[in-house]
Amino acid sequence: MNAIDIRDFSFHYPDGTPALNHVSLSIAHGEKVMLIGPNGAGKSSLLLAMSGFAQGTGSVQVDGLKVTKRNLKAIRRVLGCCLENPDDQLFMPSLYEDIAFGPLNMGLPETEITERVTQALATVGLADKANKPPHHLSAGQKRAAAIATVLSMNPKIITLDEPDGSLDPRHRIQLQKLLKSLTQTLILATCNMNFAYAIADRVVLVDQGQIVADDTPQAIMTHKLLLEEHGLELPTL
Amino acid sequence: MHHAHIDKFAYQDSPIHRLDPRAKLAVTLFGTLAIASLPRFSPDLAFYTWLGPFALLVLGRIPLRFAAKHIAWTLPFVLVLALTSLWYDKTPTTILFGPLLWQSTLGWLKCLTLTAKFIGSMLALIALISTTRFSDLLMVLQRWHVPEILVIQLGFLYRYIFVLIDKAHHTVRARTTRTLKRLAPKQELRIGTAMIGSVLIQSLDTSTRITQAMQARGFVGQWHSPKQFDMKRGDWLFLGLATLYIGMLMYLSHLVGSVNSVRPT
Amino acid sequence: MHMANELLSVPVAAGTFAIASLGLGLVCRKVKEAATTDQLGLMGILGAFVFSAQMINLPLPGLPGTSGHLIGAVLLAILLGPHAGALIVSSIVIVQCLLFQDGGLLALGCNMINMALVPAYLGYALYRLILHQATDTWRFNLAVMTAALITVLVSAILVPIQTAVSGVLTLPFRTFVWTMVSVHLVIGLMEGLITIAVLAYVKQIKPDILSLNQKSTCDNRSRLLVATLAIFTLLLCAVFSLYASDKPDGLEWSYAERPEQPEFQSVVLPHEQADTVETLQSKYTLLPAYTKRPTPIGHINAQDVALSRGWTSFAGVMGALTTMIVIWGVAWCLRKKRATA
Repeated sequence: MNAIDIRDFSFHYPDGTPALNHVSLSIAHGEKVMLIGPNGAGKSSLLLAMSGFAQGTGSVQVDGLKVTKRNLKAIRRVLGCCLENPDDQLFMPSLYEDIAFGPLNMGLPETEITERVTQALATVGLADKANKPPHHLSAGQKRAAAIATVLSMNPKIITLDEPDGSLDPRHRIQLQKLLKSLTQTLILATCNMNFAYAIADRVVLVDQGQIVADDTPQAIMTHKLLLEEHGLELPTL
Repeated sequence: MHHAHIDKFAYQDSPIHRLDPRAKLAVTLFGTLAIASLPRFSPDLAFYTWLGPFALLVLGRIPLRFAAKHIAWTLPFVLVLALTSLWYDKTPTTILFGPLLWQSTLGWLKCLTLTAKFIGSMLALIALISTTRFSDLLMVLQRWHVPEILVIQLGFLYRYIFVLIDKAHHTVRARTTRTLKRLAPKQELRIGTAMIGSVLIQSLDTSTRITQAMQARGFVGQWHSPKQFDMKRGDWLFLGLATLYIGMLMYLSHLVGSVNSVRPT
Repeated sequence: MHMANELLSVPVAAGTFAIASLGLGLVCRKVKEAATTDQLGLMGILGAFVFSAQMINLPLPGLPGTSGHLIGAVLLAILLGPHAGALIVSSIVIVQCLLFQDGGLLALGCNMINMALVPAYLGYALYRLILHQATDTWRFNLAVMTAALITVLVSAILVPIQTAVSGVLTLPFRTFVWTMVSVHLVIGLMEGLITIAVLAYVKQIKPDILSLNQKSTCDNRSRLLVATLAIFTLLLCAVFSLYASDKPDGLEWSYAERPEQPEFQSVVLPHEQADTVETLQSKYTLLPAYTKRPTPIGHINAQDVALSRGWTSFAGVMGALTTMIVIWGVAWCLRKKRATA
């Protein structure tokens, strides 16, 4: 059973613009996959499709479960998604409550929730910030906190939409280390080649709603013509 | 964007910060009631009400300048109202204060008392807010059976006020950098409302994404709340002292007698 | 327009707090029934939006150098219905009071009634009444403008009423009403103009903006309208009667003594009690006899007592001041010690 199985999936935005065009993709458990591509390529839409927020034609399966309304509850326990803007992800008045939100919705007992929140905070390096409100955190800390909100649910799969956006080099490196250390299946969308190269086992190039290439980082990231053709650049190694 | 956050002091640590938020809120509420029920012509009693909050601010390591600035900001409005007493109550009276003797009017006494009361209740409120996390206050409200939907609303509001103030600032700043002169009122209005409109649309988009984030973490309509409080020994001591203090104020107030509509004949 | 504690007496503060709590409780129940899970975030964000929109200053037409801003209650009521609108603005009033010390803690009841409950319901009722089923822009603009202007004026008038009933301020009712009404006339017009313009702008980009309300519309619309307008009319009568009454402080006239009508039984304390109070007052207040009422037999010389009382208060105030300085001094020393340690 694969972590993600997308077969012939197509999806349009509400105004009619096609977002994804007959896309097929399979991701095994434990893989760290980077979705790279120019802006508007469809990377975010692909991630939305995996999380059950994009209704389209074709089939999407998460951990063997078909993405339907009935299965959403079970799917959300298995797949955690981190949105592009951490301000959208952190909506509670304190960090503790944000990270506890998921486990509370899962109906876990109080003691286990405290344990999970502490664990998640420790993993992302924010153990002393539990009582802080999100607007008191820096951009890097917010990013880490957003990931913690997903980690506390102990998902098998985590999707992240441009997690390195507007991070300074120090925080980007911290994030890289964190993501590398995670054992979950990771599916990341990014425009940053260096970031992708540092973490990925596998790179999927997306452009104009279609999968253009799907290979190892070495194969794709050294292919200058391919990258330039799709509005990207070579990573500086 | 870095804010001079009104609530930044609430996240510090001090003996006052560690007090149970229920105790602090209850004391502030009753204290404010006590201040309001003090007699109208006794500025000295009104001054005594400053002592409690002052102590809390100092022990809570809240800079007094911060409190003073906040009070100064809101004082003018109350001052205008207090000063009306000078106009409308010219009943003559003699004020004795230690060595000072002052032939004045009741209006002056009223004005001074009103101003002193205002400062007292402001100090109490600032002491509460700058030593208590807002999220803790919300939990107290929930504990005190305030409707859940209001508590949720307050939580979201608190969380996103700063985000949207930033957005509004950015929009205004973008406008200012492109302003060379003042335009006709109609145009200014159109631009101003366009700015407001654009922030509104951004807000609507943000709310869609927040809903997505909530649903992605399993939210299906049932709201849950973590954490509970325990009253510790220090909290009971604080409650005891505060009750004594407020009690003394009320006793003094009773001695003086409430002055409602006693009119000179 | 946020009232401070000092305008109100304790009974009025408590009473309005009770009314506001009851009203808000009902509002919460209504919102909970009608709101879907999608709308929790929406209400929160729109609250924050209104808050931030109040910071965008717009020039007042015809008044150079001054500026106004959106208040937003009517906008919210139109977008999300009166229940959600009332809830959101109530939450804004609470946060403004707590976090920004705008409006006193005791005045929360009044402020919630004046700025949230009344504008949301009255505004919505007027808007719906005037708009009815029409779809043309002119009718829409008229509905919005009327709703905005009238609700702002009504909220403005409520403040002097609540102040007059409290009897704390010596400001005459008429003066207060006139000042409030004239200032808020302009504010109301601005509110209407801005609300119309903002909705027009947003409709261009998001044409479905006005259908957000579909899910959370009050179910028995006509009953709500009638109730709202009935309350509004009662209010108008109350204002008119208070205003038109002979004595400026009509309330007091109703229960205090009337020397011109010797047979009138005043409901104020009987004379002996009043005198005791006055004796006590002259003993313990800062001021000696300010009443020229003839004193009862055996009365202590007020002047002498006041003199000693004058020193008592002086000592009290100095004592309090000294305590504050001592607390501050000790804290300062401890902080220095901690810094150098």
